[in-house]
Amino acid sequence: MASLTSSTETPDLSRAVIGVIVNNALVLALVAVLAVFSVATPTFLTLANLQSILVNNFTLLAIVAIAMTFAVSVGGIDLSVGTAIDFASFAFVSLVLAGQPVAFAALAGLGAGAAVGAFNAVLISGIGISPFLATLGTLFIGRSIQQLLTSGGNPVYLPPSGVPEAFRFLGRGTIAGIPVPLIIAALIIVGATLILTRARFGRVALAIGIQPSVVRYSGIAVRAHVAVAFILAGLIAAVAGLILSATVTVYIPSSGNAFLLNAIGATFIGTTHSRLGRPNVPGTVLGVLLLSIVANGLLLTGLNFYWQQVGTGLLIFAVLALSFINRRKATA
Amino acid sequence: MSAALTVKNTAADALHLENIVKHFDGAVALAGASLRVRRGTVHGLVGQNGAGKSTLIKLLAGLHQPDEGRIEIDGQTYGKLTPHQVEELGIHFIHQDRLLVPTFTVGETLFLGREPRIAGTPFLDRRLMQRRASEILNDYFGVRLPNSALISELSTAEKQIVQITRALLDQPKVLVFDEPTAALVRREADILFRLIRRLRDEGVTIVYISHYLNEIEELCDHVTVLRNGEDVATLALGETSAAAIARLMVARDIEEMFPKRSIAPGKDILTLNRLSSRGKYHDISVTLRRGEVLGLTGLLGSGAKDLIRTLFGLETATSGTIEIDGKPVRSVNPAQSVDRHLALVPEDRRANGVALDLSVTENITLSSLKRFTQLGFLDFRRERREADDLIGRLEIKAAGRDALVRTLSGGNQQKVAIAKWLSRHSEIYLLDEPTVGVDIGSKVEIYNLIGDLAARGAGIIVLSSDLPELIGITDRILVLFRGSIVREFVSPETSPDEVLAASTGSSEALRHVG
Repeated sequence: MASLTSSTETPDLSRAVIGVIVNNALVLALVAVLAVFSVATPTFLTLANLQSILVNNFTLLAIVAIAMTFAVSVGGIDLSVGTAIDFASFAFVSLVLAGQPVAFAALAGLGAGAAVGAFNAVLISGIGISPFLATLGTLFIGRSIQQLLTSGGNPVYLPPSGVPEAFRFLGRGTIAGIPVPLIIAALIIVGATLILTRARFGRVALAIGIQPSVVRYSGIAVRAHVAVAFILAGLIAAVAGLILSATVTVYIPSSGNAFLLNAIGATFIGTTHSRLGRPNVPGTVLGVLLLSIVANGLLLTGLNFYWQQVGTGLLIFAVLALSFINRRKATA
Repeated sequence: MSAALTVKNTAADALHLENIVKHFDGAVALAGASLRVRRGTVHGLVGQNGAGKSTLIKLLAGLHQPDEGRIEIDGQTYGKLTPHQVEELGIHFIHQDRLLVPTFTVGETLFLGREPRIAGTPFLDRRLMQRRASEILNDYFGVRLPNSALISELSTAEKQIVQITRALLDQPKVLVFDEPTAALVRREADILFRLIRRLRDEGVTIVYISHYLNEIEELCDHVTVLRNGEDVATLALGETSAAAIARLMVARDIEEMFPKRSIAPGKDILTLNRLSSRGKYHDISVTLRRGEVLGLTGLLGSGAKDLIRTLFGLETATSGTIEIDGKPVRSVNPAQSVDRHLALVPEDRRANGVALDLSVTENITLSSLKRFTQLGFLDFRRERREADDLIGRLEIKAAGRDALVRTLSGGNQQKVAIAKWLSRHSEIYLLDEPTVGVDIGSKVEIYNLIGDLAARGAGIIVLSSDLPELIGITDRILVLFRGSIVREFVSPETSPDEVLAASTGSSEALRHVG
């Protein structure tokens, strides 16, 4: 971590140690959780289980959380990431079922997700509705549309015989032993990191998230950048939608909303990874890892399912508390 | 440590901070500063930004603890103060920047945390609250503010009245005013001064912090001057002058304040032709030439602000034309204006001028990012070089190029706001109250910078209500009154009185209009 090397002027060793702990709260929380579960359950620290965490818990949530991170970076939030997932999934599965080529269906799916983002962009940048309310509206409208399209919420199944190879490959294939969804997630992680930290768009987006009026007074088209961020969020969420439906070979209406709260949680846990509390992709990914490991670990300990969210909640408090101390130090 | 301590050492001190030392992360904020305030007096506290004023006040408020030194209140020595304790001791702070919650009502703000209840019930006694608030508002300010009014509906002056009233409800012993007039017009400031004198006569001790030395001269009994974390002098106002105080603050002669330079004006860069905006200003015709510094002044509602906003594309004119370099333009948003090399340094610096939670570098290059972008990605090395270059050229004092602008003094924040436009290679600068809340040393540097820009061929419009400043740094001055240009002055040939008379629409002054 870069922040480890920055404290050259702290003479006191104990202060330095405290600094390291506080500056890396998220990484240490991750290590602590790994350690606890490794001791608590014998099956946790096995290759099979760690793989299972990555494939079953991590991949999809990471992609959705990155979509969320773009919305949060411009100072907004996207409550309709689930809608983008569902629309993408619906278009993808329906077109494949109708015998269309998988590539075409996938593109249509991405287009459907981007369209959800574009709808949000019109509400937010065009009309000026706050992101929270605009995307909440999209969430409700999206749910209704799906019920109308599926005569009240019936899943759209692909018959086992009718699953094209490319479709199956997207969900369950591997390249050099690595699951395809994980590879896609990794590409998105790298791409999103580059965009937010090194691209002009990312710099402007973060500046908008911090103080939009100054960005406007600097001669930058704020609303256009906000629109792009929300379209990107829809597009990235759509990728998760494609992978989800390719994995389970079915479209289930409104199933995408299951990711919403965890994606928000991971994104805001992730902001604590930045010294200045800014949204950032590495932090979001660490947040997703943390949530994934806790979900998996609590399952293995045999803890009552209903207690699992208590664990998640406590974890969020712990990370936020540590970072709060950090922030206070940074701004004192 | 005091050069001319004239406040007598009596037990009648309301406050006595002695040899206070305070470090922040290794940097010295206070290096043995003392402040002794006699009970029932108005005591001024002045110093440039970074001199230690706010640190000293935060120590007194219990927000920080001193590393060394002691704090004596009413003859009682305290090692550690908490904000709660300070309030119990009857010390209250009126802070210009202190945010009131906009969605609270006046009543909620005044009585937050100490709501009177109807005896024997958990219910708030709204009638008693309104009565007690009205008494003070009426008696001290002669105004009526219903407790049900929302804070967001109040003017800046009224918000300050609410703050002061909240303090008065507690019958304070000491009131500390921190830059109280920064956002007030003169008439409102006069009301405040009358109030402060009255409170003093009623036995309240006042500590008054201000950049405006004329206010200190007018209002205070004594003044303590801080420089580099030490008190360099405590003087009785009868025995000193604003110029002498300013010299102590900067250790520099005031004559150097307005570095005058003569630049031969070049071609026309900006021409306004009968520009009008319904209800705001009308028939404004102005020509600005390269190398020229044009002053603009007018009271609130004169239309001067709206004119500046129109030029930057924040508003649109209803008729008339704007030409830049001889070409007619029509900007409907700031992005278009910025592309036409216009730059606005807005008055509300902390809201619109700089992003407080972005770094110095990020602020400086915010408007010129395209220059450091290749294929959509930023070239950090060139960006850093640009930032270092401007930090050096403008002598921006910051812990580093990565320091948050929030951590800079007002003067240095303003330099960052200007540096942003230098990086954008802007050519027409609209400076709206460019030195509000800026310390004297930085003011001089900003004046120098304006001169430099003009010398490089930029056209500059300065909107300022600080008339000596306006006369000192501009070539000519246009006075707006009720939306029209009523007078034009050649700066070296006029005086603040003359300009002020014109901007208040005094018939005497207007008779000269030819």
